[in-house]
Amino acid sequence: MDFEPTYTEEQEKFRLEVRAWLKDHVPASIVHPADPIDLSYEQYQMRRELGRKLGEKGWLWPTAPVEYGGGGLSLDYSVVIEEEIDNAGMTLPPYYDSGGKLGGASILVWGSEEQKQFFLNKIFRGEVRTWQLLSEPEAGSDLANVKTTAIRDGDDYVINGQKVFVGSGLGCDYMWTITVTDTEAKRHENLGWFMIEADLPGITIQPMDLLISGGESGAGSGVKNVVFFDNVRVPAFNLVGGENEGWKVATTHLELEHGTGGRISRNWLVDRMFDYCKTTQRRGEPLAKDPNVQDRLVDIYIEAEITRLFNLRNYWMRHSGATITYEGPQASYYRKQSGLRQATAILDILGPAALTYDPELGAGEGHVEAYMRSALIALHPGGTTDIQKVIMARRIGIGREVKEKAGALA
Amino acid sequence: MDLALTPEQEMLKTAVRRFVQQEYPKDTLLQMAATGISCPSESWSKLAETGWLGIAIPQEYGGEGGTLTDAAVLFEELGRGPVPGPHISSGLLGGFTVLAGGTQAQKREWLPLIAKGERSLVLAVTEADYGWDARDVRLVATHDGDGYRLNGSKSYVFDGLSATHFLCAVRLDDPPNPPLARGGKGGSVGLVSVPANASGVTVRSLPGFAWNLSEVKLDDVVVDKADLLGESFDSGWDAFQEAAGRTIPVLTAYQVGACQAVYDMSVEYSRTRVQFNMPIGRFQRVQDHVINLVNQLDAARWTAYEALWKLDTDRPAADAIHLAKAVGSEAYYQACNHAHEVHAGVGSMTEYGLTLHTTASRTLYHYLGDPRYHRRLLAEALGL
Ligand SMILES: Cc1cc2nc3c(=O)[nH]c(=O)nc-3n(C[C@H](O)[C@H](O)[C@H](O)COP(=O)(O)OP(=O)(O)OC[C@H]3O[C@@H](n4cnc5c(N)ncnc54)[C@H](O)[C@@H]3O)c2cc1C
Repeated sequence: MDFEPTYTEEQEKFRLEVRAWLKDHVPASIVHPADPIDLSYEQYQMRRELGRKLGEKGWLWPTAPVEYGGGGLSLDYSVVIEEEIDNAGMTLPPYYDSGGKLGGASILVWGSEEQKQFFLNKIFRGEVRTWQLLSEPEAGSDLANVKTTAIRDGDDYVINGQKVFVGSGLGCDYMWTITVTDTEAKRHENLGWFMIEADLPGITIQPMDLLISGGESGAGSGVKNVVFFDNVRVPAFNLVGGENEGWKVATTHLELEHGTGGRISRNWLVDRMFDYCKTTQRRGEPLAKDPNVQDRLVDIYIEAEITRLFNLRNYWMRHSGATITYEGPQASYYRKQSGLRQATAILDILGPAALTYDPELGAGEGHVEAYMRSALIALHPGGTTDIQKVIMARRIGIGREVKEKAGALA
Repeated sequence: MDLALTPEQEMLKTAVRRFVQQEYPKDTLLQMAATGISCPSESWSKLAETGWLGIAIPQEYGGEGGTLTDAAVLFEELGRGPVPGPHISSGLLGGFTVLAGGTQAQKREWLPLIAKGERSLVLAVTEADYGWDARDVRLVATHDGDGYRLNGSKSYVFDGLSATHFLCAVRLDDPPNPPLARGGKGGSVGLVSVPANASGVTVRSLPGFAWNLSEVKLDDVVVDKADLLGESFDSGWDAFQEAAGRTIPVLTAYQVGACQAVYDMSVEYSRTRVQFNMPIGRFQRVQDHVINLVNQLDAARWTAYEALWKLDTDRPAADAIHLAKAVGSEAYYQACNHAHEVHAGVGSMTEYGLTLHTTASRTLYHYLGDPRYHRRLLAEALGL
């Protein structure tokens, strides 16, 4: 067993190359707003530009196949890129692109060759930003209950309906959308996924007012929207996985969203809290010296370590081809619930300094305040923690007669 | 034994509930949250007209002379809103502090104004170096002629924007007692009334997830000897302590009402929201959230009302007060978390109204001391 990735000489050389490239190409003026709602259009464009440049090098989606515009790199090399991006304070892609990530992975598994050529090249090269459109007023946890219809008409499908809690601020190019393709068919046998061009006539986007939309920094969505489809004509080519085959596609999509992908990243929250508590004086001593504060700081640390190890394990399992069962939803469940417990610990440690982004008094340049809101709201996206538990139980084999298997991943 | 409210209290409860529904509907509350301004407002003027702000102030000083339990019945209903405004900070805490430590003249002059809502006397105690102990008070008062000159800042002042006057905790810079900053023991801590519009006073609202918190800066503010609460400098802090002890269980009753509103919302939603062809209340996981919530609600309710009863009947109550605050603050905080789990996406929408409570619960968690602070005081009160 070895928890530390060992790097070959070539990898270390590659690291230096990536680092130097990032130094040259990440604009010095890029900012990471505490609440991504504050991301400006200019800042967003800067991130998109960086995304395209990363795409050209094959570093935007390092492990995606070269023939579809990805980097075709082995895990060893993609880890290096991810670590360096993380050190530069960013993610891959460096902006919100939920539909690119989940739609891309789904198309890789279920798309036709032509669809892969067409859509994946755009996604993996960073030419488009895509939202994922699943939820509807009557379809949250019960995704299969979607009502948005896509009815075949000649060479097109005509789409009508409403999606909620979707997307981000500053628009998108494509919408990765689940619909009903057969209004007569049985549940789970009536669905179809579309890649919909965002500027088609009949699409209206209405921002929602939420406590926060979740997510951190420039890669957070900032805003969630209601999207209305009013007789939107979409070419049949954009249907992915086939008419009424949508549930099959959804299992791939949801598997990733439920955390099976795993990830390796530092925990900025722990860094920030440790920093703040070491440098902020209370009653003449650094906060971090107070044994009560230490208790709670260590609570935050323990939660972060367990979350990190679950993610690390999933990353390793996925890339080593191990059979994944309950581990995806477990990582998601644990991350969400521990995030909320960490928020409580922060409130205990910092007091009301955790509740404001006032430049003089707010802790961590407003990042802590945003975290206090997002820890709560982040419980819901991608399946509530209850739903993660339901899936875990099925995968463990106690939820249903037949033990459920994980969805297919490329 | 009888745990029921009196018929008069039941009548008050009904009247306040109707008042809150009429004068503080959700749209009004949302607007107040968006602007940060709840007082002055039309709703606040109407609340002041009812005379309820002086519910626990003795009749001889222009109040209604009610018991703390009477006040709790009122504040429980206000908590349902949650109705903002300086009713706790001034009406209760300000009033009780003057009552406990003011001179006869101050009581006669200030209390009727507080009772009528014409003066909002808001306690300003905590500072950037945050804590609710006397030792955390650093703001300096130096002798200046017959009065005092004040310099420093008060941070996280609850209802600071609504104040007409601040009752500031200040530390006297006495030559024989050099201030803490210079290694001394520090002079005694007293309370001084400062008009919010006095020269040298600036008030800044703290933006974000905080609920009506402000920073108050005092820059060479000169006050009169008559503005010092009580006859001598030392009497202020004790008066605040006594007043906080009486305010806390009523504040926790406010948290009880708030938990009740959050609970009602969650039960209703569990009954009406359908997923997988059934009301979500059928799912045992959702039931767990609602049951956790009602346990928090009831724990807060009964710890609060027993403390109130002890205070109203002159029984020793120190332990009950700390118990109530430790339980009540935690309860409101967790109740909101459970409610968010029940509601998922819808609960995060501002227009739904749950986030009004979520925001309030975080600030009240700390106001007058957080659960961990009161646990420590409880340990002391229990002789541990
Ligand atoms: C910040 C944010 C971002 C989002 N981003 C997106 C996005 O980009 N794209 C998108 O499509 N959607 C998005 N969503 C929507 C999100 O996926 C849904 O909110 C989530 O799936 C829950 O659905 P719901 O809100 O309708 O809650 P409901 O499904 O109505 O759930 C209500 C309650 O019932 C419980 N429940 C429901 N069914 C069961 C069951 N079978 N067993 C046990 N308990 C159950 C839930 O756990 C919850 O406690 C986002 C939501 C938020 C808040």
